Amino acid sequence: MTGTSRAYPVVALSGLLLLLGVLLALPLYIADRPFELRMAILIFLFAVMGQGWNVLGGFAGQVSIGHGLYFGLGAYTAVLLAVKFGVNPWLGMLAGTALASLCGVLVGIPCFRLRGHYFVIATLVVAESVFQVFTVWEWVGSAVGIELPVKSEGWINFQFHRDKTPYYYIALTMLVVVTAGLWWLRRSRIGFLLRAIRDDEEAVRSLGFSPHLYKSLAMAISAGILGAAGVFHAQYVLFVDPFSVLGLHISVMVALFAILGGTGTLAGPILGAAILVPLSEYSRVHFSGSGRNVDLLIYGFLIMVIAVYRPDGLMGLLRSRPVLTMLDRLGLRSVLLQSPHIKNIRKGNSHAA
Amino acid sequence: MFRKRRIIPVVVAAALALAGGDVLAADPVKVGALYPLSGQVAKSGEDTLNGIRLAIEIINKDYPDLKMPFAAGEGLPGLNGALIELVAADHQGSPEIGMAEAERLIVQEKVAALIGAFHSSVAATSSQVAERMGTPYISGESEASTLTERGYRWFFRTTPSSRTQARDFFVFLRDLNKNRDAPIKTIAVVHENTLWGQEFAKSVAGYFKEFSEFQPSIVVGYQQGTSDVTSEVQRLIAAKPDVVFHASYDAEAILFARTYKQFNFNPQGVLAIGAAFGSNAFRDALGPDANYFLVREHWSRDLADRNPLVGQVAKMYRERFGKDMDGTPARAFTAMMVLADAINRAGSTEPEKIRAALAATRMPPEATIMPWEGVQFDETGQNTLTRGIFVQTLDGVPKMVWPAELAVAKLVWPRPVWR
Amino acid sequence: MSDQLIAQLVVSGLGMGFIFALIAIGLTLIYGVMEVVNFAHGEFLMIGMYASYLAYVTWGADPVVSLPFIALLMFVFGVAVYYLLIRRVLTGSMHAQIFATFGLMVFLQAAAQFFMGADYFAIQNSWLSGVITIGDVVLPMPQIAAVVGASLATLLLYALVFRTSLGRQLRAAAQDAQAASTLGINPSTMYALAWGFGSACVGVAASLLSNFYYVFPRVGAVFVLLAYVAVALGGFGSIHGALVAGLLIGLLQVAMGFFVSSELKFVPVYMLYLAVVLLRPRGLFGRM
Repeated sequence: MTGTSRAYPVVALSGLLLLLGVLLALPLYIADRPFELRMAILIFLFAVMGQGWNVLGGFAGQVSIGHGLYFGLGAYTAVLLAVKFGVNPWLGMLAGTALASLCGVLVGIPCFRLRGHYFVIATLVVAESVFQVFTVWEWVGSAVGIELPVKSEGWINFQFHRDKTPYYYIALTMLVVVTAGLWWLRRSRIGFLLRAIRDDEEAVRSLGFSPHLYKSLAMAISAGILGAAGVFHAQYVLFVDPFSVLGLHISVMVALFAILGGTGTLAGPILGAAILVPLSEYSRVHFSGSGRNVDLLIYGFLIMVIAVYRPDGLMGLLRSRPVLTMLDRLGLRSVLLQSPHIKNIRKGNSHAA
Repeated sequence: MFRKRRIIPVVVAAALALAGGDVLAADPVKVGALYPLSGQVAKSGEDTLNGIRLAIEIINKDYPDLKMPFAAGEGLPGLNGALIELVAADHQGSPEIGMAEAERLIVQEKVAALIGAFHSSVAATSSQVAERMGTPYISGESEASTLTERGYRWFFRTTPSSRTQARDFFVFLRDLNKNRDAPIKTIAVVHENTLWGQEFAKSVAGYFKEFSEFQPSIVVGYQQGTSDVTSEVQRLIAAKPDVVFHASYDAEAILFARTYKQFNFNPQGVLAIGAAFGSNAFRDALGPDANYFLVREHWSRDLADRNPLVGQVAKMYRERFGKDMDGTPARAFTAMMVLADAINRAGSTEPEKIRAALAATRMPPEATIMPWEGVQFDETGQNTLTRGIFVQTLDGVPKMVWPAELAVAKLVWPRPVWR
Repeated sequence: MSDQLIAQLVVSGLGMGFIFALIAIGLTLIYGVMEVVNFAHGEFLMIGMYASYLAYVTWGADPVVSLPFIALLMFVFGVAVYYLLIRRVLTGSMHAQIFATFGLMVFLQAAAQFFMGADYFAIQNSWLSGVITIGDVVLPMPQIAAVVGASLATLLLYALVFRTSLGRQLRAAAQDAQAASTLGINPSTMYALAWGFGSACVGVAASLLSNFYYVFPRVGAVFVLLAYVAVALGGFGSIHGALVAGLLIGLLQVAMGFFVSSELKFVPVYMLYLAVVLLRPRGLFGRM
């Protein structure tokens, strides 16, 4: 199936490198344009979050609409450590990632027994409960939120005031690292097993693997990525409050970006973010002020259209025949679309046995 | 012949402008405004921004009949008649977007000062940007007390903080107790659960020491967007407070008032912060049941009886935007006027000079449309001369009933039983 | 702790519970027949409430009078949504269905704000606005109406699903669409009817609510989150499950709001859900 594409790994690789090169050089053109620079940062941030969601929701097929929880936990951990104990934000990032991972695994203990919509609602109520507790919890600043003290700018303090390009590069690095990591994960045995769990959990169990263990692993990775993204957001905005980092809208948005792009693929969340962020930003700039929500009217309509015509997300577009032929020519098909097959696990299993 | 005549005044104006110094008359002063202009609170954001638009119109155009600074003549006299140009930005109530827009306004639009931001959370992040970049920031309606407690140099606030507003409730009750044999004693607080309501409840709790004749009764917080408030009201009934202080938005104000009536809950008075218990939506929904609720207001059209300026400005607002002015646009209007006054005295758009002029602001009460004693900032940037009024809905119309020297109607106390 | 207070809390809890239950029943009916969760369900409620309000201000029709018409209107609306949107995403994954109904939710909310603005509208002095006092217990009329109306609607629906041939066809399509079609039942028609009846339930809930609650573009969110939990708690697809869970949630939130903390009164409801599914992964009455 991927025979043609194997002949062109060089083309594929150089294509990706070219894209990376463009992204690396982009700040040269938009550094003095805060609006565009911020939009690029947001695209990277949401792409990272979408990738994180995708590990659990796409690879393992466990749809969560409570992932804002881990984003918020990451953000709060770093901010609280910095404000209450003077911990450096980079250590805060490690701590935020770790804590989000841990909480993810803990949430998974009751929730992974659940299937389908029972699981969806469970993730929702957990996230919503934590949100409500945070709005009244004095120690974490309750609904008022916490402002990070402004420090001198620089890499050590993870604060950049005049020139925001370092945030751009940090976000881009996070995206590249996460995507590369997930590329590896997808091809590893864990990746195969996660897909197998999505397709048929009982089959995996019968092969002697523990679905709960692998789902927990996916959750740990997934929540950890969201946590790291949360820390970045807190350092970027220098402010956390329950609504802006733990609100239900974040959970919904993250899932939406990944689903719109195409679940289970690596390029899906990136594509979703690259389309939805500019869509909402430009519609805000152009249609706001009327107080009539025209932007949301268009947004909602587009989502329905995509659901009807591209039920497997925008990545589904790439699966249409003309695009496939083109991708084969460029050697990009395996990079973008390759879906590991279930028979590979059997191989893996016999190996292990 | 005709040509010559025209040229002369132009040349004279240009010469005058050049002589005036570093700013040309043609150079407008840009002011960036941060408000929620889309999403849920778009309407309030738009109304507030309209207050600012009206202030700028009065400054930029000639209104010889209006007895307030900058009304007569066009533009700012201190900058050779420079006009003010408004650059509005929409932050959707998001602290992150507020921050980004503040940056954009300062860097890309090169505004001389910022004004905003309705939401206190957005004011927090956007004023942080202004602080870092050294841009003057004035807020006319973001009330969180913490905003002026951060030791910022560039942040100024004309509106009273929620803490100052909470104090007005006690001052009002103490005043009321002077003429009463059976004094008002116990106070319950009902508050919604976001920043605003929580701050109010905390502020109230802090004043029982200073006003020791009062005792705290129950404090009932509730989740905003709740479907019913029976349990909340039952707790109030069980606690039997003399008065209830309320911090609620429009939706729950209607729900609470209806539930009070259903369960015949009759405290001596219900005193609310924010406009919800006297708003149009509230009065439309409740009809005669909307009567006797007391609202601590910032502004009322009844002030026109004392200060004709209020009536004139309110009329202009109504004609220009087809809507009645209320407390928030009035405060934004005032903040814009204070900012213009500072820029005018600074005689320049240099940030440091505007800041110094803001810090030195001394605005007399008759120059504003507020019931305040004027505008003067302390070292934290907070206006210290604010004053609150209480408005009571009587026969379906909100009437100013306190302080006595401004009152246009007689306070009804205690509130009559439900009918 | 007086008996009167307890009675008061129970009555209020049941009043709210029946509303949650009625909303949840609409949701669970659709799910039971075709395994689709309608994320725009709250917005259906909102539309019903606006319709009730508009009927009142335009024609002076009291919510009691307009109730059957609102139910009918929502029935038509539900069928239309099925044919225009849902039928087109049925072949897709669960993702596509979540996505489609989510898009519908955003769209309807924005449309409401576009046409009606963000203001709060409430019906003044409807027929059912007073209270009845029994001893010291105050029974607000709107809540009594909610209890009576919602139980009637539930009974009707029950009769329809379990006592009529149409109900048999619905259940057949729900159990096995393929087999049902060989028996001459058109599954698509059954699905459309499920959407119609489910939406009509919400229409009834909307009418009853508009007696005492105000309508605004985001009113759906106030009720529907708890309705989702009720559906899941009762077991997806189970009508009596949704009923029991709705009542349970109504009572629990009032009790918690009074005895524990009104700020966190929904958290115990959420915890109850987790506790129940920990023991019974398919809710109280879900098909195992």
